[in-house]
Amino acid sequence: MRKNNKKNCSIIENIVSMLPILFILTMFILHLVMPNKTFSKEEQRYLAQWPDFYIEKVIDGSYETKVEAYFSDQFPFRNFWVHIQEDFNEIFHKVN
Amino acid sequence: MVFSSLFFIFAFLPITVILYYLFGNHLKNIILLTASLFFYAWGEPVYVLLMCTSIMVNYCICILLGRGKASRRKRKFLLIISLAFNLGCLAYFKYFGMIMSTIGSIGNWNLNIGTPALPIGISFYTFQILSYVIDVYRGKIKSQKNLTLLSLYITMFPQLVAGPIVNYGDIELQLAHRKMTFKKFASGLRRFLCGLAKKVLLANNIGLLWSEVKAMQSIEISVLMSWLGIIAFTLQIYFDFSGYSDMAIGLGKMFGFRFKENFQYPYISQSISEFWRRWHISLGSWFKEYVYIPFGGNRVGKWKMIRNLFLVWFLTGLWHGASWNFVLWGLYFGTLILMEKLFLQKSMIRWPKAIRHIYLLMFVVIGWVFFEFSNLTDILNFLQIMFGVGDNPIIDSQAIIKLKTYICLYILCIIAASPWPKKLALLFKRIHFKIYRLAINLYYCLLMFLSTAYIVSSTYNPFIYFRF
Repeated sequence: MRKNNKKNCSIIENIVSMLPILFILTMFILHLVMPNKTFSKEEQRYLAQWPDFYIEKVIDGSYETKVEAYFSDQFPFRNFWVHIQEDFNEIFHKVN
Repeated sequence: MVFSSLFFIFAFLPITVILYYLFGNHLKNIILLTASLFFYAWGEPVYVLLMCTSIMVNYCICILLGRGKASRRKRKFLLIISLAFNLGCLAYFKYFGMIMSTIGSIGNWNLNIGTPALPIGISFYTFQILSYVIDVYRGKIKSQKNLTLLSLYITMFPQLVAGPIVNYGDIELQLAHRKMTFKKFASGLRRFLCGLAKKVLLANNIGLLWSEVKAMQSIEISVLMSWLGIIAFTLQIYFDFSGYSDMAIGLGKMFGFRFKENFQYPYISQSISEFWRRWHISLGSWFKEYVYIPFGGNRVGKWKMIRNLFLVWFLTGLWHGASWNFVLWGLYFGTLILMEKLFLQKSMIRWPKAIRHIYLLMFVVIGWVFFEFSNLTDILNFLQIMFGVGDNPIIDSQAIIKLKTYICLYILCIIAASPWPKKLALLFKRIHFKIYRLAINLYYCLLMFLSTAYIVSSTYNPFIYFRF
């Protein structure tokens, strides 16, 4: 009984220790699955899309920059994350 | 690609981890090497060829050096070729502009011809290659005949762009044989998240204050404001750089490697010499091993020792960037360390601990002024404000507002820069091991969550240490 308990405990522990990487994988998969958005109402701007592939653009680095912009603009639940950050910032930067 | 970008954390990293663990043992090095080359080429699509050339040249030289038949003269000749090639590349790609503009300003010529863009991480990988070649020359290590393994040592993406500088001898065995365990992976992941949080939650936020101060007109800055600003920078650069090292060490561990520590709570030091044994340890030991000791170290006469010391600190400064203010910054620390070595050390023992600590912090904070401003007028100007020379007010309402706004963050940063959180965690671990394990893992989940929120909110987020 005791041994079993110990085993359960370490299984929970192992799962919890892997949560961050599971989170990363989940977000990655969601990113692939979720449809791309074109416009953000909150930010009043068009969001970056997957860029067209041209070898010259790869060489001058602009393709890579655009892929990264696409990635951050289309990140799953983008607005949710921004709200979390804003709330948290208020705790740190309280103007008295 | 920086570690604190969404693309790295949520695309590059999961793909690399999956491929690495999916294909098992015999393909692990090939996969890691491919991923590393992709990682570098992503940021430097052209200069990746420079790095590959550099690896090939040094690989061939070391194969020749490693053969027992070569005579001493031939070996020396090979070493010189390698040094000339590596240092030549570094000099051309990093210091060409600086050399030209210095010569130009001495002779009043206009020498502003096109300077090459700085390849990311060239200072780091050149130093790794040099340590490998010199150690092979010295016979300390055997030359690596497997090109994949040597390339992996140089290009491994965790430490490629911002260190730590890994000595070949330290990971020679790990390249061919290393154990990947669940426990190691989990611990590496925690270390990575710790570094990520340092960078994203602490360094970036406290850095905002410094960029505000830096953008102000010098007449507007009060004495208090100047100190708030430079202390913010002191904290920012520590969390930025040590955070990067933590991420590198953590990522390495996730792939089964064990790198040496690069930072050991530098701001708790009690002397300048101690500070430099705790700050960017891998760079300090590189200079000690490959410059200071070969020139005789401190076992030669007093004057030669002083010469060696200043040579090392001149180079340490110069390594940090192609600008004279970095040299000044290096020589500033050289002078302080010399003073400690010659006479200060003896009397310092009698000082109270607190005084020694204040002395260290004072000089380190002043040092960052040399580090941050690239010309002498700005440096002197800012120092004058800090020490109340001139007409700037001591305290103004703006500084009070900033102090109130940032006080929580200051306190958090100061606690995080001390070893106390770790000591507390260890105490907790001894009292209740099981709850500790669970709590610590949940804490890292929280860090992951918050870091993601902060990264998503800031699209533009480059590392300070990318200039080097």
